[in-house]
Parts: sequence; C-alpha cells; structure tokens
Amino acid sequence: MGNIIEVKSLEKIFANKSAIESVDFTVKKGEIFGFLGPSGSGKTTTIKILTGQLNPTSGMAKVFGEPVSKLKNPEYRQRFGVLTDNSGLYSRLSIYDNLKLYCKLYDAPLSKIDEVLAIVNLNEAKLKKVSTLSKGMMQRVTLARALIHEPELLFLDEPTSALDPTNSLHIHEGLRALNAKGTTIFLTTHDMQEADTLCDRIAFLNRGKIQLLDTPNKLKQSYTNSTMTVELTSGEKVTLPTGADGAHELFAYMKAEEIVTIHSNEPTLGEVFVQVTGRKLA
Amino acid sequence: MMFSLRRVNAIFQKDYKEFSRNMAVSSVIFMPPILAAIYGRMGIDSIESHYLIINMTFAMITAYVQCCLIAEEKEKNTLRGLMLSPATTGEILSGKSLLSFLLTGVVIVISAFLSEYKPENITVVAIAIILSSFFYIGLGTLLGLFAKSVMEASVLVIPAMILFSFGSFITKLAVQYPILKVANYLPNIQLIELATEVENGAHFGDVLSQLAGIIIWVMIIWLLTVVTYRKRMVD
Ligand SMILES: Nc1ncnc2c1ncn2[C@@H]1O[C@H](COP(=O)(O)OP(=O)(O)O)[C@@H](O)[C@H]1O
Ligand SMILES: [Mg+2]
Repeated sequence: MGNIIEVKSLEKIFANKSAIESVDFTVKKGEIFGFLGPSGSGKTTTIKILTGQLNPTSGMAKVFGEPVSKLKNPEYRQRFGVLTDNSGLYSRLSIYDNLKLYCKLYDAPLSKIDEVLAIVNLNEAKLKKVSTLSKGMMQRVTLARALIHEPELLFLDEPTSALDPTNSLHIHEGLRALNAKGTTIFLTTHDMQEADTLCDRIAFLNRGKIQLLDTPNKLKQSYTNSTMTVELTSGEKVTLPTGADGAHELFAYMKAEEIVTIHSNEPTLGEVFVQVTGRKLA
Repeated sequence: MMFSLRRVNAIFQKDYKEFSRNMAVSSVIFMPPILAAIYGRMGIDSIESHYLIINMTFAMITAYVQCCLIAEEKEKNTLRGLMLSPATTGEILSGKSLLSFLLTGVVIVISAFLSEYKPENITVVAIAIILSSFFYIGLGTLLGLFAKSVMEASVLVIPAMILFSFGSFITKLAVQYPILKVANYLPNIQLIELATEVENGAHFGDVLSQLAGIIIWVMIIWLLTVVTYRKRMVD
C-alpha cells in the first residue's frame, strides 16, 4: 500500500521560535496515524502545513503524492477533510443549515447530513441554532462537517478535546467504522488512551520533534520491565518475572489456589511518554 | 475550470439567512430610503441630493455591509472553511458579494422612487450605478479582509464612508485648494459628473470617459482584493 502522507525534514519557524524541527514520517493509505504530544508540541502546526494553511520554513511535505502547495487545487480539496481548533461555524444558523452549505460546497447529497450527524450523535439537535450549543456539541458539528464529502483522508486536530467520555467513545466508534471503509485518518491528541485505542501507529511529539514512532503495542513492549504482579488470597502482592524464572513460583501459587489476580506490568502509553521525553502529557 | 453557480448560490443563501437575523447590521438598509422619503416630501430634487442618497447607499450598504460580512467570516473562523473547500476564489468572492449587490440595487431603486429621481437616460445611469457598486463591494471586501473582527471593520470603513459620501464637498473645496483636484477622479465624483451630463441630454457615447474612469477603479480595487484574499489563504 502506498503512502498518502510523506514528510521529510519538515521545519517551521515562527519569528525565531521553532514550532517543529526535522520532522520525518509517512502515513500509509488506510491507517489511523496518531500524533501524540502535550500542548505546544507542534501538532496543529503540522496539520496546518499538511492542509496547505501554513507554509513550512523548510523540508518536504507531500499529500496524495503531491507537494502540499498543490493542495490549492479544488480537486485535492475534495479529497481531504479537516477539523482544527480554528474551524468555525455560523452561529446564527442551525446545525442543519451549516452542514447544508458544506454539502453544496463539496457537491455532496443533502442526505449525507443525517448520516454524519448520526456519527457524532447529534440528529436530535439538528435544528438547533449553533449559538445555543455547548462547546462539545460545536466540536461534534465541525467533525460532522469534515466528514460530509466522504474524504479519503481526514485530518483531525484533537477531535475529542472538548467531549465527555461517552461522546468520545461514540466518536471513536464512528471513526473506526470510517477507517474500516477505507478512510485514512491523521489524528492529533494529547489523550494517550485515545491514541492507544484508536491508532495503528503513533508518533510521540515533544517540543517540535518526533521522539518515537511505532504501533501502540510495540511502544509499550519496548518499555516494559517484563514483570507481573500476582495478588494472593493472603492479600500479599508478589512481583514475578514474566520469563521462565517466574514459572516455578507462579505454578506453586496456582497449585495452592492462592491467586486472586494476575497483572502484567506493561506501562501505559502515558508512562512511556514520560520515560521517553521526561515530560507529562496534557 | 468550471464556475459553479450552485456554490455561489449556496454562499449567498447562507449570507441572506445570517444577515436577516443580524439586526445590528441589517437595519442600515432603512437609512437611505428614509432620507429619500424626507427629500421627496420636502420636494428637494437636485442631482446633488439624489446622489447624496446614492453615495450614502454605496457607503453604508454596499461597502459597510460587505465589509461586515467578510470581517465576520474572519472573526468566526469560517472563512478558512470556505477557503479549504473545493470552491474557487471566484466562486467564494462572487457568492460573498451577491447579497450586498442585490441589497444595493433594491435600496437604490426604492430610494430613487421615494425621492422622485427619474434619470433622463435610465440605461446609462443604471450601468454606471452597477459598475460603481462593483467598486464599493470590492472596497468593502478589501477592508473586511484587513479587519480582524466586525468591530474593527466598522471602524476601518468610516474614512472610506466620509471620502465617498461627502466627495462632492471635496470638489467644491478643490476650487480653493487645487491640490484636491485629484478628488475629481474619485469614482463617486465620476458618477455624479456622468449623471449631470445625462440630465443635460448626454447619451452613452458622451459619458464614455466617466464610465472608463469607474471601470478603472473597479479593476484596481478587485486586483488588490484578490491579491489580499489569496494571501489570507495561508497564515
Ligand atoms: N502563528 C504563530 N505564531 C507564533 N508562534 C506560533 C504560532 N502558531 C504556533 N506557534 C507556536 O508554535 C508551537 C507549536 O504550536 P502548536 O502547533 O499550536 O502546538 P499544539 O497544537 O501541539 O498545541 C507553540 O510553541 C506555539 O506557541
Ligand atoms: Mg493544537
């Protein structure tokens, strides 16, 4: 499968202050690729460059095999959808009217409106005026809007940052379903759980640099200390190596029927992030 | 590249809905007809008074409303969404201009009716007014692109309003201060000159220089506007 995004030595400097430096990565067609990093690490800057909203200072960025400067071409604009924190809505209009405009701009049938509203769980509210919506609801409308023309590539900048857990989960499901139908998703987040459950591969972004890039499992495995914690009926907790060394002891506990729970001690992505960067997320 | 009227119309309909729900801005459309009605009742019927109303329409409706429409798209971060869509610069700017254009037409026709302005040659005057409205729409768009908010837009548009609505006073001052003669080339002055000639029996062929003057203004302002718009597409 081909690469839908290719980035090489990408750099952006704002008035002497660099936002991203020597960033390299590729996103394969069909994957969900996550950019995980604390605020100010350069996530939005990267998305803006990739969608042609910002010119890079140096380096190469290609989307659909073409340099990002080509994205001004309407043909390419039809192929991607964007949600960023500066995506605005028309506050005097209803959700429906907001989406109707975008249906027409993208030549999508009006029947798509109900379809995308279902993904973000907003069908009930579709006639509500945008100015009366909560921040989370607005975020869901902008997400719906980014999906309306069934883009092959979706750029989502912290799509669930203003949402409660229930709605986040609902949207994760929707995104997985879109991905299963072939949509490639480039997602930024500072929520490691979101990155863990949703992404096929994750890049750790810290102070404008990618510090690690791999699948969530590999990232966690490479930082595991290979132990497990066994909780016994006595209330005691014993830490055992996961290898052959621990087998005898574990077997003994099992035979004696003393085990209440067993937990592998793999780190969470958040812990890996702290280990790698020395910084906390969020 | 295809020019999609569907997109232009979608932007226009959106603007119309928003505008009709925004009394703070939309109420300005009543000002010129009110003044026109007063003039009509008082029996004031001079070319200067008719064009005071028409130029007021250009300043308060064409340029000001247009400026607010564009500035609001910037303030609410919605312009970026339009720019990122497959709509072309031409489609977006046409769609964003249509409402101001139609409002201008309606207000000028109603005001002319109320103040009883009946041009000797309505075709020539109509062409000149339509061309002038293109200039003021371009001016409003340009100022709107510079403003960061509707508030800022309202301030930015004031000098333009003064220059273009009271332009005819400047020509009178120019008799004393020759340096102000440049003002004679302003599009509003060209329009009044044209209208005066028409009342004196001029035909299409007699006012070509004034029409050309207005067209040059239209081209200059839209060139600046499109260049500025394109710059705004990237941060
Ligand atoms: N327009 C700008 N002008 C100056 N500095 C900017 C601008 N946009 C972003 N930055 C800086 O670039 C860095 C990265 O920002 P950003 O990409 O928004 O991070 P994130 O989205 O990960 O929170 C930050 O230090 C931010 O202050
Ligand atoms: Mg950001």
